[in-house]
Amino acid sequence: MSAPATTESAAPDREARTTELTSLARTTPGVLIILTAVLIVVGIVVGIVTALSVQSRSTALDNLQSRSGPLSVAAQDIYRSLSDADATANSAFLSGGLEPTTLRARYEADIAQAESALSVAVAAREPGDLTDGSPLATLSNQLSVYTGIVETARALNHQGLPVGAAYQREASNLMRTQLLPAAQDLYRAETDQVAADQDDAAAFPVVELALGLLALAVLVVAQVYLRRHTNRVFNIGMLVATGAALVSLVWVVAATLGVSANVEDSRDRGSTQVDVLAQARIATLTARADETLTLVARGSGAEFEKHYASTAAHLAGDDGLLRQALSLATDDGVRERIQSAIDSQQAWHEIHQEIRKTDEDGNFTMAVQMVTGTDADGAAAQFDLVDADLRGALETTTRTFTDEVGQASNAITGTVAGVALLAVLMAVGAAVGIWQRLKEYR
Amino acid sequence: MTSGWTGRTVLGTIAALTCVLALASCTATDGGVGAGGDVRAEPPLPAGAGAPSSEPKPPSTDCGDPTAQSSRPTQALPSPGQMPTGSTMARIHASGKLVVGVDQNTYQFGYRDPFTGEIEGFDIDMARAIAQAIFGNPNSIQLKILTSGQRIPALQAGDVDIVIRTMSITCDRLQDVAFSSVYYEANQRVLVKKNSGYTGIDSLGGKKVCATEGSTSLANIAEAESDPVPIQVQDWTDCLVLLQQNQVDAISTDDTILIGLAAQDPFTEVVGAPVDSEPYGMAMPLAEDDFVQFVNAVLERMRADGSWKSIYDKWLANLIGPAPVPPAARYRN
Repeated sequence: MSAPATTESAAPDREARTTELTSLARTTPGVLIILTAVLIVVGIVVGIVTALSVQSRSTALDNLQSRSGPLSVAAQDIYRSLSDADATANSAFLSGGLEPTTLRARYEADIAQAESALSVAVAAREPGDLTDGSPLATLSNQLSVYTGIVETARALNHQGLPVGAAYQREASNLMRTQLLPAAQDLYRAETDQVAADQDDAAAFPVVELALGLLALAVLVVAQVYLRRHTNRVFNIGMLVATGAALVSLVWVVAATLGVSANVEDSRDRGSTQVDVLAQARIATLTARADETLTLVARGSGAEFEKHYASTAAHLAGDDGLLRQALSLATDDGVRERIQSAIDSQQAWHEIHQEIRKTDEDGNFTMAVQMVTGTDADGAAAQFDLVDADLRGALETTTRTFTDEVGQASNAITGTVAGVALLAVLMAVGAAVGIWQRLKEYR
Repeated sequence: MTSGWTGRTVLGTIAALTCVLALASCTATDGGVGAGGDVRAEPPLPAGAGAPSSEPKPPSTDCGDPTAQSSRPTQALPSPGQMPTGSTMARIHASGKLVVGVDQNTYQFGYRDPFTGEIEGFDIDMARAIAQAIFGNPNSIQLKILTSGQRIPALQAGDVDIVIRTMSITCDRLQDVAFSSVYYEANQRVLVKKNSGYTGIDSLGGKKVCATEGSTSLANIAEAESDPVPIQVQDWTDCLVLLQQNQVDAISTDDTILIGLAAQDPFTEVVGAPVDSEPYGMAMPLAEDDFVQFVNAVLERMRADGSWKSIYDKWLANLIGPAPVPPAARYRN
């Protein structure tokens, strides 16, 4: 019927234009044009929103793979190496005379590892995250202060001056009141971030499902209308559009459900266990530091011994961290290592009681020998066994976590591009399909 | 023209869609600019360092001369291993060792020798002499490290038999524990850095001055007329750490302790007139008067037979100078 009035004078006034459009909308070609516009808009909106939604899952997975996952491991490393460095520095001091070379080497390795893990954690942050008082700021500002004081203590100790011991105590106090709490906060924050990313990646695809169904519904309505008004059963363009919408819906839902399953596995068989194991390892290190400091404080170490007792109970009780880790374990190798850690911890605890008794009886030198000595059945050796088993269990479960996240990431690869292409295909198909009908009105 | 309009729209839309999708797929977080402003650099503090936890109270009791309040020995010293039945010494002998509260941070008085890891010093040798008198073996001792503030509570709780730890005899302390006769006469003075220009406690008005928690020195600093700011720590060497880290301006305590600190840092010096005199006594539980008499008898023998002098020469002569006459024993009875 009436085509748009391009031949009329330019710039018709608004009223005339509105009237024209209203009358146009009442005719079949008018409706077809509007329908085309609606289909294109629906195609665009569904395409963009679905793509964004899939993209946010993909980003969450990327984060798990390359950010929060590795960062929670780095935070764990920072805590472990700092705690071990302090316990080592204290026991090197405790052993009297020139410190044993092995202890000094262990201290140096711990500090190097802490610094390397810290630089990983810092590199992943924006400068704004390093504001004064944040855990990372505390760690990066105070670690060099700590090492400086330890070196001062060592230099003074080498001159035989007792003030060296006071520097060592000051360093240890800095470690226990500032660095370790900051490392624990950092670890907690990174672990929470892992959980949040897992939630984002594994959410049920509500938006994707709803939008996919909406697109299909609009296409069906459009085809029913076309069939009524043009008496054609099939329209190739519209069929292509419908096919594209259907494929997109199935693809997105299947991919995201697959991702959810993998992410849930990464939680149950990975991060949940990693968290309990990491806490167990931290408790192990804390107990070891307490054991050493009880002797360093020599006589005024009751507070440290009390702290050791509560830490050991938290670690080894019936519902302690090690038992929890054992009941959560899904891998036979991991279960074995945790069982072995439980046994070594028990042996260590028994040696610890003997050490306390020896010290209470006044045999300080013997007690020091039992704490720092390198005999296979000494406290140091048993502690190392517990730590090594927990480390092994942590490595395995961390690998499971990474594998599951990797699989999830693979499952979603290409989905964003696919969804975008299919959305374009849907819009083009619908437009071409209706255009063919529209031509018949010329 | 309809066709043209629609076609253009479709093309434009596709372009727009592609563009938006392209943007969506590169939602990389862009880096914020500017670091976290001013960064503070604060030296750390030793554990328990800071303003005095309780207002150091001036002496509240007046007992006359605190150094003349000990019990005169009434019996001759028993031979080692032959302690009178039922006496405190017999109980200690039965337990197998003398438990002594000592310091591990006061150079030459009670300190951990970094080479051997053992606690040594003037006070430790005094403790060995007491152990020798009880057991016939100077090594029958168990050392318990106490901070200044822990000395009286440890005695009252029965954790130690005797405290030999640069402890001044005061009227207030005599309310809680019994003291032996004076075994060393010290004076409270001030340790500063050589280039600081401070000449004594009078020139330290408004400045931070360090002493240990619960010590008489801390109370004397708080009372000084020049009004210095007292800072308390747990051990004397913590004071030297704070002085070296520029966190306090001076340390004020007994010259014996200060000389031990100065020996560890040649850039410090002891200045000014004595703030107060500090007579050291060995502290024992109030109820154990027999033990006090026994210790006093041991001290009298040490003054007479030259063993006090030889212990002094071993630890203090090279820091303080030739041995003075040992402080004379004075008793209340």
